[in-house]
Amino acid sequence: MPINRVYNWQIKRETAYPFEGARPDRQFAAVFDINKCIACQTCTMACKQTWTTGKGQEYMFWNNVESKPYGFYPLGWDVRLLEMLGPQRWEGDKYAGKTIFEAAPRGKAAQGYLPEEYDYAYPNIGEDEPMGEVGRGDYITIPHRIWHFYLARICNHCTYPACLAACPRKAIYKRQEDGIVLVDQKRCRGYRECVRACPYKRVFFNKVTGVSEKCIACYPKVEEGLQTQCITTCIGRIRLNGWISPPEKADPENPLDYLVHVRKAALPLFPQFGLEPNVYYIPPVHVNSAYLKQMFGPGVEHAVRQYRSASADDTLLGVLTLFGCAEQWIAKFKVSKGVASGYDAAGKAVVKVPIKEPVYVRPFYDEKLQVYRHNIT
Amino acid sequence: MSGFDRREFLRWSLAGAAGLAASSPKLAFLQPVAVDNPLEWYPDRDWEKIYRDKFRYDSVFHFTCAPNDTHNCLLRAYVRNGVVVRTGPTYAFGKATDSYGNEATHRWEPRCCQKGLVLPRRFYGDRRVKQTMVRKGFRDWVRAGFPRDPETGKPPEKYFKNRGQDRWLKATHEEAYELTALALMNIAETYSGEKGAEYLRKQGYDPDSVAVMEGAGTQALKLRGGMPLLGLTRLLGLVRNANMMALLDDHIRKAGPEGSLGARHFDNYSWHTDLPPGHPMVTGQQTVDVDLSMAEKSRFITLWGMNWISTKMPDAHWLTEARQRGSKVTNITIEYQSTANKADDVIVIRPATDHALMLGVAHILMKEKKYDDGFVKSFTDLPCLVRTDTLQYLRASDIIRGYSPSPLRNYAAVVKAGEKPPVPMKQPTQYVSEEMRREWDDVVVWDARAGRPRAIGRDWVGGRFKDLGIDPALRGRYKVTAVDGSQVEVRPVFDILEEYASYFTPERVSEITWAPAEAVRALASDLARHKGSTFFAVGMGPNQFFNASLKDRGIFLLAALTNNIGRIGGSPGSYAGNYRVALYNGLPQYIAEDPFNVEKDPGKPANVKAYLRFESAHYFSHGDKPLRLGNKLFTGKTHMPTPTKFLWFANSNSIIGNAKWSYDLVVNTIPKLEAIVMHEWWWSMSCEYSDVVFAVDSWGEFKHPDLCGSVTNPFNQVFPRSPLKRIFDTVGDIDVFAGVAGSLSKLTGDRRFEDYWKFVYEDNVGAYLERIARASSTLKGFTFKEIEARALKGIPTMKNLRTYPKVVGWEQTNEDKPWYTKTGRLEFYREEPEFIEHGENIPVFREAIDATFHEPNVIVAGKTEALRPLSPGDYGLRADDLSTETRQVRNLVKTWEEIRGTRHPLTKDKSYRFLFITPKYRHAAHSMPIDVDMITVYYGPFGDLYRHDRRKPWIGESYVNMNPADARELGIEDGDYVWIDADPEDRPYRGWKKDDPDYKVARMMTRVKYYSAIPRGVLQMWHNMYQATHGSVRGHETNPSGLARNPETNYQSIFRYGGHQSCTRAWLGPTLMTDSLVRKGVFGQQIGKGFAADIHCPVGAPRESFVKVTKAEDGAVEGKGLWRPAALGFRAGYENEMMKKYLKGQYVD
Repeated sequence: MPINRVYNWQIKRETAYPFEGARPDRQFAAVFDINKCIACQTCTMACKQTWTTGKGQEYMFWNNVESKPYGFYPLGWDVRLLEMLGPQRWEGDKYAGKTIFEAAPRGKAAQGYLPEEYDYAYPNIGEDEPMGEVGRGDYITIPHRIWHFYLARICNHCTYPACLAACPRKAIYKRQEDGIVLVDQKRCRGYRECVRACPYKRVFFNKVTGVSEKCIACYPKVEEGLQTQCITTCIGRIRLNGWISPPEKADPENPLDYLVHVRKAALPLFPQFGLEPNVYYIPPVHVNSAYLKQMFGPGVEHAVRQYRSASADDTLLGVLTLFGCAEQWIAKFKVSKGVASGYDAAGKAVVKVPIKEPVYVRPFYDEKLQVYRHNIT
Repeated sequence: MSGFDRREFLRWSLAGAAGLAASSPKLAFLQPVAVDNPLEWYPDRDWEKIYRDKFRYDSVFHFTCAPNDTHNCLLRAYVRNGVVVRTGPTYAFGKATDSYGNEATHRWEPRCCQKGLVLPRRFYGDRRVKQTMVRKGFRDWVRAGFPRDPETGKPPEKYFKNRGQDRWLKATHEEAYELTALALMNIAETYSGEKGAEYLRKQGYDPDSVAVMEGAGTQALKLRGGMPLLGLTRLLGLVRNANMMALLDDHIRKAGPEGSLGARHFDNYSWHTDLPPGHPMVTGQQTVDVDLSMAEKSRFITLWGMNWISTKMPDAHWLTEARQRGSKVTNITIEYQSTANKADDVIVIRPATDHALMLGVAHILMKEKKYDDGFVKSFTDLPCLVRTDTLQYLRASDIIRGYSPSPLRNYAAVVKAGEKPPVPMKQPTQYVSEEMRREWDDVVVWDARAGRPRAIGRDWVGGRFKDLGIDPALRGRYKVTAVDGSQVEVRPVFDILEEYASYFTPERVSEITWAPAEAVRALASDLARHKGSTFFAVGMGPNQFFNASLKDRGIFLLAALTNNIGRIGGSPGSYAGNYRVALYNGLPQYIAEDPFNVEKDPGKPANVKAYLRFESAHYFSHGDKPLRLGNKLFTGKTHMPTPTKFLWFANSNSIIGNAKWSYDLVVNTIPKLEAIVMHEWWWSMSCEYSDVVFAVDSWGEFKHPDLCGSVTNPFNQVFPRSPLKRIFDTVGDIDVFAGVAGSLSKLTGDRRFEDYWKFVYEDNVGAYLERIARASSTLKGFTFKEIEARALKGIPTMKNLRTYPKVVGWEQTNEDKPWYTKTGRLEFYREEPEFIEHGENIPVFREAIDATFHEPNVIVAGKTEALRPLSPGDYGLRADDLSTETRQVRNLVKTWEEIRGTRHPLTKDKSYRFLFITPKYRHAAHSMPIDVDMITVYYGPFGDLYRHDRRKPWIGESYVNMNPADARELGIEDGDYVWIDADPEDRPYRGWKKDDPDYKVARMMTRVKYYSAIPRGVLQMWHNMYQATHGSVRGHETNPSGLARNPETNYQSIFRYGGHQSCTRAWLGPTLMTDSLVRKGVFGQQIGKGFAADIHCPVGAPRESFVKVTKAEDGAVEGKGLWRPAALGFRAGYENEMMKKYLKGQYVD
């Protein structure tokens, strides 16, 4: 079915897609630092309590965190799709295999499958379960022979969404002003083609209302200049919202562009699927690279090296320090004299934070107040 | 056509159709789909208001979420139509200041976690305690006029045998105040005087326990505010309440203000086994810890059984950000847990052998002279001489005739008899009684340059010692001449410890701990390279074993050898529980106000006089008795518990529902209690077994302000007054105290009870908090009113401690101040008779008391002259008696070569083969809020919102982590149900029988999760659970849905049967019950000795047992076949072909 060719910079080539390529004025994006994710599920509960408290939404987690490699929601989602696609190849940083659009069966927009209802049970299956087995007494050093990591997931608000491509009613669209992908709740008739097509399984069918639903990137917040619920509640401080530019328009003062394009420290999830997803992950530094390459593409080793160099690099450390510091969107950042500053689109300062925590020593005796200050009280 | 032009064209051409659609929705459905390219443009986006509407709120307010998790987050509540629809962080922690204007940074944002974000589900949840409830049998007993057996004083069994299975009756708060007051009066009166003592002896209580009541029946009343720091007026109100009971004693015995006694208050921090009991043994201070934000100042971070990532969630980023900044992280653990994926090195050891690893590392540092000589000589007792004859410190007066102890001038002072030190806030120095100063004398070192002994004054620590120019010997044996002319052999403590540690070679340590010898060497070499910048973060793992005090002494030894104490970046820290009430050392103004002399003017300070006494709750959980074995009472006089007849507690599920050995408490101990009164806002297991449950406000509804703090962050956390209307018929906790006091005034005619809570009646609880603020060294400079005003806007304040980040011991190291010990130094040697008797005068390694494959509790040692413990025979016990009780006092010394061939006594039955440990996890803080739907569903791999399997107790359930090879050997598949049984001698409770109805409730059934992150032979289950009760089992078996929910109370269990505490018991460590240990008191700088609640007292061993596992049922729905995810090939050990490829990354090339 896909008839057009669109350019996808993440795989460095054109791919088939049912519609002509059209990038929005601004594209919603986020960077997730896996090295800081603690799988606390605070993001999951923030999203649940804000958006999916209704009937038919019980099982839905628009945001979830799963332990890799044994965690899935729904069961086996990525394994199943990788298997349907079959083994594929990268040539350097260019993808030489098939995207899900190119592998689409006749009459479908994309290769995909429809999970069974029971696949959504056990949303935290695989939690903390490692690849490999611990011995009686073990000494594990980097790269860890036994490993797991946490993968926090929301809708990727893809540049080339498969859900949108698959909808027979064209009830899914991408907002021009921010690139957020939405399912029109009035027009959707619940055919579930989007659920089948989304390789990330980020669209959910509501049995009670009969329509499909998905992460809305908290647009009521984004419209107010605020970061999303899953981001502003992220206590691991792993997340940062921002606008991502195409690589040729990258602005080094834009924190997202800096991390994704300038430093290439953050990578898309399963870029080979061909959707140009817009959540970018800083890969974990302790995991073997074959698995990571399968998940994040050929840039993983470079990204890990970049991340490891942050301790001696104030600009990189500065932008990473801004994660979690403010509710507002940070359009630009600067690092100067050990202080990282974030600014909104109008150039107004949003937050300032020292890269290293200060140390204060208070007077032992406060004469005015006649009190002694001790650490042992 | 360019994109822009075409888009514009489409927009115009469709405008007509869209207009038509808007005017007629029915017609809109029939409109043909007219979207050309939804990437570009979409016609009718009005529907988007659905989500804007859903997001809308009318107002916000701020409140503090404070389970016992050491964080305490000020949260923002979003209110719509008067209902809290969601909660979130305030993003104002970066605006916090101390009273000098020092600012916190925005790196403290955001503060919250998933437990706080599900609170709306709890505020309005169906298990809220919606009104005050009274158990029928209890009410009947009170109404019948408290009938009792004239011989023993016991109430008739019929009123109490139904606890946990009885009917519950709604009551007004006032009725319940009166019932409580009547029971307080009757029980206190019954057990007062000689008649009361006789009753208690006839009921079988230990005579020493009865004697310490001194005739006051009020001493049989036990009160407990659940982790009191979590609410200075609300929870510490129970301490105040205990003090008030002196008025009741006066009413009964007419003993007057001089002779009356208050009630007893149970410990908290030590009851939770959060106290690291060896900290006061080394430092004299309750606990040494630091704000977790210190991590990035440490170039090397070592984690000892601390699952920082799962249990310190809002502060987890300090660890990951330290790593971003280049710090190395080494994680010492018994599994590859969540923190392992944030570590550089992971060392996996056998549970409860951390201390052996520490000794192995200490040995390398000592042998290779990689320790910090200056620190060791000037800040520790390692150069101090020990007499080889008495095994006690050589004292200056032993060798210098007429020696008088050195004067104390270095931040210490002697208090003469009859004098009182100033209040804590005004204390510049430590305070020591004349008697103690005399007893301590001064220690002696061997001056290597002069070749003679030198007495060392207590003042001479740090730079002050260095200035003396003495080079004390660390090694060797010396002869000194005693004042009586005899020759005495002496050795430096260092020499004794080195001799002991030398047995712990890397190879032997590897055998004991399972860790490869290479890991021991790597750790030693990393430590040697990071002097002054290593963080030793110790978690609950090693802390919650019976021999925990020894590992504390080991950690300090490593820290002292590497100059890592009191440094910003170099310090030990123990992380368990939120405990330090001393953060607000003006608290005596509230908790110990003299009830006979109440100050009614809120502007004036209270008169302070303590009538209450403290006691460790471990005796209560130990069948309500001290440790008496063979010919000896092992519980010190200062520790002696009294019989427990009345229990009153608030905000706590840990004293019954999540207590160690909880089913023994339920079956054997609480039937002897005559009243159990509690406050709750959520129906817990403790409520199930109570008599009166007061319905109190949730954290979102507080009508009275309150304050709390935390030991891991620098903030004061206010509970500001909430504008939210009460959701149910609840009152404040402090209203209950006032209400019961009001009833006592009515019933006794003594107005002073009511006056004691005057400011509650006047809705002026802030007045108590102002008194605390005015008298606390950390708050002085703020008024409570001021900090509440900030909290109302979501902004906390910072405590005025000495440093930010707080590092306990900073003053000692940087300003050469003494520690709170006899010598003023960090003491690694314990010379008191109790320690010598139990072989713990040096920090020995002992096998675990239950969680070991070998003979339990044996001291592991090579040839060590300085170990001379008493043997079982000395106590009149058999040497081969390994029963659980006697094991506690069994001090056998053996070599590892002798021990490694021995077996745990239970292995006579071959199915006993697993260490069973129950650490904490990320999904709950203790048991809060484990049964809230969205939390339960994420609690491990078995969450299923639609409960496809009706056997499930709830929409998620408990499970045990098991190595797949162990499971396969027992024919157990992933997801199967199993039975887990610990020592049948006393678990799940003493005297169980197979056909006992109680046994069915108490025996643990759970599911198995295949978990290859844990070594073979070790089982792990999380501590954060709601266990089965009589009611939940009845529900599980009679509810058509199969839910394990009590039909009478709605209590929701996460287990079908039993619980994690089915396998635990109470343990009493002899060296934790001494009358001789010198330690600082709770508040301020005064030093005392012997028992101090939450400082020196038993801690139990909640994390260890030895168990067997038996398959019960298959894991598939309704118990037939393999659990679906395993059957489909997506589980470890069951991988299908695609999973195998996926794990190897073979889908790309």
